[in-house]
Amino acid sequence: MTKYAIKYALAFILLIPAQAIVFDHAILFNVAVPLVFLYLIISLPVTVGTNLSTLLGFLAGFFLDVFCDTPGVNALCCTILAFARKPLFHLYVSLDDDLASRSPSSVTMGHAAYMKYMITMVLAYTAMLFTVEAFQFFSFKLLILRIAASSAYTFVVLYALDCLTMRRRDT
Amino acid sequence: MNELFSFIVKNSKWFVFTFFVVISCMLLFRDDPYRQHVYITSAGKLASTAYKSANNVTSYFNLHEINEDLNRNNAELQARIAALEENLDALREAAFTDTLVPDSGVPPFSFIVAHVINNSIARPYNYLTVNKGSADGVRPELGVIDRNGVVGIVSNVGTHSARVISLLNPHFRLSCKIKRSDYFGSLVWDGKNPTEAVLEELPRHTVFKVGDTIVTSGYSAVFPPGLPVGVVLDDDTDKNQNFFTLRVRLLADFTTLSNVQVVVNNHADEIRALSAGEENDSKKNPFGN
Repeated sequence: MTKYAIKYALAFILLIPAQAIVFDHAILFNVAVPLVFLYLIISLPVTVGTNLSTLLGFLAGFFLDVFCDTPGVNALCCTILAFARKPLFHLYVSLDDDLASRSPSSVTMGHAAYMKYMITMVLAYTAMLFTVEAFQFFSFKLLILRIAASSAYTFVVLYALDCLTMRRRDT
Repeated sequence: MNELFSFIVKNSKWFVFTFFVVISCMLLFRDDPYRQHVYITSAGKLASTAYKSANNVTSYFNLHEINEDLNRNNAELQARIAALEENLDALREAAFTDTLVPDSGVPPFSFIVAHVINNSIARPYNYLTVNKGSADGVRPELGVIDRNGVVGIVSNVGTHSARVISLLNPHFRLSCKIKRSDYFGSLVWDGKNPTEAVLEELPRHTVFKVGDTIVTSGYSAVFPPGLPVGVVLDDDTDKNQNFFTLRVRLLADFTTLSNVQVVVNNHADEIRALSAGEENDSKKNPFGN
């Protein structure tokens, strides 16, 4: 568990600046942004309590806000996502399943369930994020486009990231 | 008491959740960009250090375009020098008959060269971060320009970094005029496209053509008058309105910003003192008795 905590802290310290410096600038067609830092919330083990995961979600969002000058936007969305993580997870994995303290992945959950879980989390987050941002310029078409494009883009990047880390764990 | 305690423990996740949501909303809805503490902006130590180290690598990427722009700029300046020298000669001749009264000894504007270390263009409110701060003489509410045109206005200042409200941010309205006809309006970003903005509140009798240059009006103490801002693209006016609204293509390329200049108005304090005096006067009896 301590080993996992250290690894998670390291991922936290790396992913937030990486999101701000690299991924936030990898925008496609002016609409799609890859929100790779969501991996921090998606990969949290289900055994982590809701209180702790909400705190971690808030911190991740808050630090990203500091980097991106979007006070409160990511903090609010991350807090809600981290809080809703457990119910969303149990949409696809029933409560009775034997869950090790490992983080959600295609190995622990099964490929199909993990994909669905990841898509739900990403879609929920982009929907919240762009709706909060749309308070300023509301255009329904643009909002839907941004949600769909960013979700797809984020999912592809996260899937690629997952495949890479998975292979390394296997060997 | 025991029951209350167990109630709190049992529902602790809701309390924690509400607590963080309230904090987030407080951050979210306090949206005056000047009132934020510098530590929770990108000009804070944490973010600016990270951006500076990343910028050491990425700043080389756009050098080709920057060089081309500088060459063009240089050519334009040389042409202006030639024209001004001609003017000067003419004035020297005139000085034999007339005596020019010199203006105040301090040059009105000076410039601090800075480097953009972070920039966003895809958000509804965009900001950029530069690598000069209070130690270099940067203060809030100074203008920022690059070689092509107006970029933004400084909002928060750290010791060695500052956060700038980009022109691509609806918090920032810039007083501009059409160079050819001197009619003025206010330029604001409409959130649609990072290369375009709209010039609003132009009087209905304004004369303009597509392709006219938009320059700063110089009515605020922030930017010197006549700085290029954009070029008129087309007319975006509703027929029933009393004001013209023009689409403007911005001259500064926000996708490749790198070197910028912070404009320091050396007479700003004087101007501010004067206008503060005006406000005080208007509060008093205008006839002074």
